[in-house]
Amino acid sequence: MKREHQETGAGGGSGYHVATAADMAGAKGKMTAASSMGMEDDDCGVDELLAALGYKVRSSDMADVAQKLEQLEMAMASTAAAASDDASVLPQIASDTVHYDPSHLAAWLDSMLSELNAPPPPLPPPPPVAAAVHHHHHQRFDVSTASAVSEPPAITTVAPLRPSDAYGFKPVPPPAAASGGRVVYGLDPQSEMIVSPRDQKRKRTCSPSSSSSWGAEAGRARGSRTEGASSAKPAAALPVVVVDTQETGIRLVHALMACAEAVQQENLKAADALVKHISVLAASQDGPMRKVAGYFAEAIARRIYRRRPFSQVDRALDSPALEDLLHLHFYESCPYLKFAHFTANQAILEAFSGCRRVHVIDFGMRQGLQWPALLQALALRPGGPPSLRLTGIGPPQSDHSDALQQVGWKLDMLAKTIGVDFRYRGFVASSLADLESRMLLERDGSEGDRDDEGEEEAVAVNSVMELHRLLARTGALEKVLRMVLAVRPRIVTVVEEEANHNGGTFLDRFTEALHYYSSMFDSLEGGGGQAVAAGEEEQQQKHRAMAEAYLGRQICNVVACEGAERTERHETLGQWRVRMARAGFEPAHLGSNAFKQASMLLALYAGGDGFRVEETDGCLTLGWHTRPLIATSAWRVSAASAH
Amino acid sequence: MLTREEGEEEQEEEEEEEAKGRRRAFSVNDNVDLLAEILGRLDGRSLAVAGCVCRLWNAVGRRDSVWEAVCHRHVAGGGSSAADGGCSTRSVVAALGGYRRLYRLCIGPALDRLAGSAGGRGSTTTTAEAAAAHHLSLSLSLSLFSIDCYERLGGRQQRPASLLFLCKPVDVS
Repeated sequence: MKREHQETGAGGGSGYHVATAADMAGAKGKMTAASSMGMEDDDCGVDELLAALGYKVRSSDMADVAQKLEQLEMAMASTAAAASDDASVLPQIASDTVHYDPSHLAAWLDSMLSELNAPPPPLPPPPPVAAAVHHHHHQRFDVSTASAVSEPPAITTVAPLRPSDAYGFKPVPPPAAASGGRVVYGLDPQSEMIVSPRDQKRKRTCSPSSSSSWGAEAGRARGSRTEGASSAKPAAALPVVVVDTQETGIRLVHALMACAEAVQQENLKAADALVKHISVLAASQDGPMRKVAGYFAEAIARRIYRRRPFSQVDRALDSPALEDLLHLHFYESCPYLKFAHFTANQAILEAFSGCRRVHVIDFGMRQGLQWPALLQALALRPGGPPSLRLTGIGPPQSDHSDALQQVGWKLDMLAKTIGVDFRYRGFVASSLADLESRMLLERDGSEGDRDDEGEEEAVAVNSVMELHRLLARTGALEKVLRMVLAVRPRIVTVVEEEANHNGGTFLDRFTEALHYYSSMFDSLEGGGGQAVAAGEEEQQQKHRAMAEAYLGRQICNVVACEGAERTERHETLGQWRVRMARAGFEPAHLGSNAFKQASMLLALYAGGDGFRVEETDGCLTLGWHTRPLIATSAWRVSAASAH
Repeated sequence: MLTREEGEEEQEEEEEEEAKGRRRAFSVNDNVDLLAEILGRLDGRSLAVAGCVCRLWNAVGRRDSVWEAVCHRHVAGGGSSAADGGCSTRSVVAALGGYRRLYRLCIGPALDRLAGSAGGRGSTTTTAEAAAAHHLSLSLSLSLFSIDCYERLGGRQQRPASLLFLCKPVDVS
């Protein structure tokens, strides 16, 4: 664990060599990549790779060297903290360092350690130093002296913000490169950090939630990439001793934000470096944080590399069959879709009370998991079941399998079993905007022999996470809503993700998505059902992994795609309300039955303490702790537009 | 001598009386409907245990009507509704797989889960029924049951998992 600390604490920049040493100590003997130069001493057991860099360390000493390096770092840190004036100690060390021959790394470390532990007169000058180390230390200490003056030593756990030079980037013009202002962490008041006073352009507040150490609420967080970059550096001037996951978690968030900002500023080189850095940091994390960071890092990488010609591999991953499979696992491993289905069904059921013929139009049929429950509820309603017609709409299948029709057969079989008169129609459409209202309303020829044609049928339109895709094309949503109006439904149920992933700038979207999906992943981890048997456990984990993959695809779409390809344009309930009202719908309140059923459903989920069902103005939202994640709303045609 | 014989006869008569008395005494196994009525008042686990007593009890314990009583006792909204309503519920549930299956797959695990969470919150009540009767509704159980039934209709696909979020239940079959 200590070694990890070394690696993560020195993720990039000047700490790099330290990490390399530690890394190599662990992977000794497995390295095949050898530089061809500087190998003259390999036969006396010196490590090859370090020799290429100018150091001479015996392979047998490697672990020792690594440990001493770590001790040295800690010792320097504590020395610096103890000193009242940073500037005095560090230049002394810097000047002393120059005298040593770094090629005998082990010996040098010993002497450094002894010197720091017992501050003594300077030691006699040995052979001249190699350029690498000189540069290395200069880099480290120059930077620290530069900013040390403005940084009070009384900072604790969080790494300071440094200017971008440390990373070897080209200096960015000051307005854009200003690092964030105060960083305040809600849980740990000690880790408040004050950055160099010249960089006080932006503010950011982060407050870790209780369940994950980085559920950060960065409101208008626009952390610069420099902030992210430098925050990962080891703090030579600060008493950083223990790495806890909270700290690396925060660093990870900073790095992600910085990377996003770099992408927004089209600084691809910086963004590229940061992405690699994020991967390193993410590897040190555990649980949901690591997974979310991994998905976001991958998505950003895709966005960056998209500028260059992109391989066709991704096309194969876009098959609807895979999408359906992942969707199924998402359905099974967390309550969001069940919540959506149950609340929508309740609204539909109430709207259909008293009707003998009902027609449901489903904008996203998939496997039809919403409808067995409605069939059962209709079968048991007082007064007997109506005759139900179901129209399902689905995307075209690449392998020509008739998934829609199979779903219809299954539902028909179920309906026959429980005694509900059922008819089914499937429509294949790549986009909802391609449909016409008369297509949905017309009946099959085979219905000539049915009875009571004269009675009006009550129509319900159901859309579970389908409307947001229409926002990718201008005018598509309006067209579809006009079509829905033309169908004259009794009720329209809309379920959407409760997040704004359709914001103006990339950074806004990125920030929002980061918070949303970290809550989602948290809930997957914490809220999954309890498996008792060992066999079930494995299956649960498989479900969870696939559910995470499902979310990962969404993340990829939100972050990496643009224009018509970016279909995951989630919007908040407030935004949908505006859109629906503009299109001529008025809200229909979901009754208390829906609320009770939803609460009960959530109570059945282990970890159900984390889930919250809330009612806002007649709409129900399900969230994880304080964050609503999915919202169900019901609409009817407003009196004004029903002419 | 005569008195001794009479005494013996009397003794035999007494014994016979006792034997007759024993035969006339009630055993619940004589009246299967009564047995069913009693078993229907148990909770699921006890009923499953009762099914291990003897063949008769096993047969009675498998009756769907018994499990219907058990289910209705443990869920809200399953009480004595209109006779017509009760009849249609029965037919629907029978079509979906029966009350015993309903209990095994949905109600039992759900009650266990609710009791577990209630106990975890420091509630002192030990009976699952008391805690859960307020919460679990028949309609929710039936919804979950119907989804599970629907998933099984697929046939050749892998085992349906829509109810996996509940605990793995005790197998009563």
